[in-house]
Amino acid sequence: MRENVVIIGGGIAGLEAAGQLAGLGYNPILVEKEDHLGGHLADWHCLFPDLIPAKDVVSTLVAGAASANIFTNTEVLHINRLQDCYNVMLSNGVSVMTKAVLCATGFRLFDAHKKEEYGYGVYDQVITNSDLEKWFNGIPDPRIDNSMMSSAGFVHCVGSRDEKAGNPQCSKVCCITAVKQAIELKKKFPEMMVWCFYMDLRMFGKKYEDFYISAQRDYGVRFIRGRVSEVSENIDGRVVVKAEDTLAGRPVRITLDLLVLMSGMVCNPKTVRDSGTVQFPADSDGFLKCRNSVTDFNLSAQDGIFFAGSCTGPKTVPETIAEARSAVLSIHNWFKGKQ
Amino acid sequence: MRERFLTGYNNFVLPFLIGMVFILTYCLVCLFRILHQLPHEDRKRFLLSLVNPKILLKNIRDIFCDCLLHLKIWKRNKLLGYMHSSIAFGWFMLIVIGHIEVFLYVPHRAKFLYYPIFFRYFVAETESTLRGGFFFFLMDFFLLVVLSGIFLAMLKRLRSRMFGMRRTTNQSLLDTIGLYSLWSIFPLRLLAEGFTAEISGGSFLTKSLNHVFTAFLGNHVNMLPTWWAYSIALGVFFCVLPFTRYMHIPSEMLLIPLRNAGLKIRNARKGLAKVQVYSCPSCGLCIDACPMSVMKTHAKDTTVYLNRQIRRGNEKRIEEISDKCLLCGKCTAICPVGVQGDALRVAQRAMRNSGMDSVWKTSGKIAGTPEPPQSQGKTLYFAGCMTALTPSILKSVETLFRASGNEYEILDRDGGICCGRPMMTAGRTEEAEGMIRRNTELILDSGADTLLVSCPICYRVFTENYNLPGVRVVHHSVWLKEMLDSGALEIAPDNQRYVWHDPCELGRGCGIYEQPREVLKAAGELVEAGMHHKESLCCGGSLGSLTLNFEKRRAMTQNALENITAENPDVIVTGCPLCLNTFGRFADRPVKDISEIAAALLKSDCK
Amino acid sequence: MDFGFSISRSSTVNLDSVALENFTKLQALEPDALKCISCGSCTATCPAGKFSGMSLRKVIHNLQRGREKEAVEMLQGCMLCGKCSMVCPRAINTRHLIMSIHKIYGEEAR
Repeated sequence: MRENVVIIGGGIAGLEAAGQLAGLGYNPILVEKEDHLGGHLADWHCLFPDLIPAKDVVSTLVAGAASANIFTNTEVLHINRLQDCYNVMLSNGVSVMTKAVLCATGFRLFDAHKKEEYGYGVYDQVITNSDLEKWFNGIPDPRIDNSMMSSAGFVHCVGSRDEKAGNPQCSKVCCITAVKQAIELKKKFPEMMVWCFYMDLRMFGKKYEDFYISAQRDYGVRFIRGRVSEVSENIDGRVVVKAEDTLAGRPVRITLDLLVLMSGMVCNPKTVRDSGTVQFPADSDGFLKCRNSVTDFNLSAQDGIFFAGSCTGPKTVPETIAEARSAVLSIHNWFKGKQ
Repeated sequence: MRERFLTGYNNFVLPFLIGMVFILTYCLVCLFRILHQLPHEDRKRFLLSLVNPKILLKNIRDIFCDCLLHLKIWKRNKLLGYMHSSIAFGWFMLIVIGHIEVFLYVPHRAKFLYYPIFFRYFVAETESTLRGGFFFFLMDFFLLVVLSGIFLAMLKRLRSRMFGMRRTTNQSLLDTIGLYSLWSIFPLRLLAEGFTAEISGGSFLTKSLNHVFTAFLGNHVNMLPTWWAYSIALGVFFCVLPFTRYMHIPSEMLLIPLRNAGLKIRNARKGLAKVQVYSCPSCGLCIDACPMSVMKTHAKDTTVYLNRQIRRGNEKRIEEISDKCLLCGKCTAICPVGVQGDALRVAQRAMRNSGMDSVWKTSGKIAGTPEPPQSQGKTLYFAGCMTALTPSILKSVETLFRASGNEYEILDRDGGICCGRPMMTAGRTEEAEGMIRRNTELILDSGADTLLVSCPICYRVFTENYNLPGVRVVHHSVWLKEMLDSGALEIAPDNQRYVWHDPCELGRGCGIYEQPREVLKAAGELVEAGMHHKESLCCGGSLGSLTLNFEKRRAMTQNALENITAENPDVIVTGCPLCLNTFGRFADRPVKDISEIAAALLKSDCK
Repeated sequence: MDFGFSISRSSTVNLDSVALENFTKLQALEPDALKCISCGSCTATCPAGKFSGMSLRKVIHNLQRGREKEAVEMLQGCMLCGKCSMVCPRAINTRHLIMSIHKIYGEEAR
């Protein structure tokens, strides 16, 4: 008989893990609360640094997970620990007995309304990174379509590295995402001036530095080291942004047609809807707490509960996929150890 | 009634006499010192107020209501009110009736300070005491009233929650001595009068007690020692009184006329401030009231402890307590004697020398400061520093301006000079005055007839410290109410449940409570927070505190949010950019400024 | 004699000889002094910066590099309005920091 493995979350980590587990002869049961698979990536346009279309990645992963049991529009109500297994109760009335649960609940984008001073929801010219991706994907957005678009700005670290916003952690991927989006925007509007306001640029991944150089050299994106602290509107209905150019040591102000807020990643607040006997405690960074963050990042404190992807911290797409695979290996070895 | 002793004297009155002379001398010396410490104009103002019949009448009424009847405490908790007024008013009546008796029966003894107190020892009952019987009854009645108060006071030490107090102050050693001597005065008086009742006469209480005594203690040997004990208890109480919290009794009688004369605290250690510090009865009501007390570690940073440390001269703690306070003013609002915890702290901060030069101390124009927009006959809008960080307010106010047809100019569209209140509350009076002077010039030069502000911090300083002849200063919540009343703005109500958060500076600071509530009633359903109006809780974001860091403020914000959502409203509404920002960070439901609510609900023909 | 040039003091800050006793005192008074990440939010939003060139970021930076005089002079335009504390991502208690700098370096200056 094939062993059940419940996977919470049908994003890229969940999909990859489901495909790999099925390949190893397990019976993965994938639970996704939205009506579609792929998580945030399903709304994304293309991926850094090679501008691969996100929908290709998602469809490959969905195809790989085809043999898994997949429940969309379904939430996990609660998980209770029994003698040697878990009882997972789903919102569609299904109750699953399983020895292993893989938590791949991912992240949520910081709600940019909470940074009052940036005027998201107040000014028509202020959007978020996610809004911009949707527009790249062809969904009309009057905030972008209606403006003259001669200049745009990206504000890094919105709701990340920000104690006031309750998230002091670096969200890690926003720097490179901003570079990517700036390049894409430049491709659409070659005449546009594009500015990036950053606190520190963190170009840590493979070919990221090249991508950054290309943004400067090939696309003329301008980088200013200074965090935006105030956004106001002028009489023409454009936004006036205030920051300090910390390298020059002078305050700067600039008038823009579009301001993109790079909302950071925060942990999904609820892994399961109601509390059962199994809890998912948060670490000091707000993300889920793993057994240790060097070698046992896949394991939770409870035997049989595993983690994959950005539920334990901000991660890039390749990192998430790699973690999903390693989680599958951990689960496989764990089952073998039980026999 | 006839006298039992020709001399009208016994040695046992000595402890009382010593105590009484000591306390009277002490109070007189203090009174002169305080009057001497007052600045000249304040002293003149105070002395003049004493001959003003209207103020004099108010003084008497206040002293009667506050010092004797404790009406303010009654409003807070009936049991606590009864405890205080039974002791104070009962004792007062005992003294008054004692004097009446002396004047009626032995008028030639009226010159002796002790005679009314120990009257029963010195007189014997004669046959014709029908009138005496009346007074005997009154005396016993008020003694019983006081004793019931003392009993409650003992009970309160054990179970303060019964009296509506979660936390009370820790007693100092001298306070304990004072407390025990006060507690023992009246039972001892009862004993002494009980032993004497068959000679001096008595009523239901003392006479009955006498019958019990005579049943097993047949002689009068016990009489004198109890009178001695009574006198000693009084003497001890009077002698320790200046060094205990009971100093509030004489101090409050000075504080009331000083307050009614309209004096303000000018120095944290002298004059009015000193009277306030000594008027603090250490009741500890401010501990529960203080928004910082949500964290146990802050319980000793409340006003009652500030007063105690000022009396002890513990400079380090005085600084700590003064700098930590949010200046929300709630302790001042609820203090039964009228100690101004916030003003006291600001005055304390002002005693420090900043040790720095500041451009604001100089005179003359500072290059780069804004130019006044020409606003002849228009409304001038001073958004304030904080509003620049809450664009939703700025945008809504502009929408409302346009809809109402009012012509307006913005004084600080591109950043202005701060209103000066943050500087003032930090204790930098001179710098603050420099800023006030420059803003005054700007406003007057603009020619505007109305100054609209949307930050209560600014509003308070504009109304309290600015002199702007011909310019009406108005907060946007009040302006909104007026616009709705006059029909210049019309809003279509929705079915949302709104709760109004009283910003400290707007409510307790400026007394604006009702206008914003009226606006919300026009917008939807108004519900109240757990504690509201003058009891509302500071959001925790106040600029008043100098030392509280973000982490500590968070606990206060969360506590205030629990309070504001007691009735489970749909939207939290406030009128202060700082509250908006602070609440918005942690709230689980929308937090909006009152202008946003109005702008969103504007009827379409207004837009 | 004029050689057409002069020898000025090196503009290099010699970190070996920077005296930080005062900064240590400041740290004890307001531990937030060390939290700054030099993002410049405070400077950008500062209403006094417009006319006095005040920059809290520079002040903190200069103090840590031993350039106390420049730092303290810069604070003369401060209005203690608290806008900087609102925008600071590290939740630094900027007003207390400024007042503590006044206290320590002001005494030093006299």
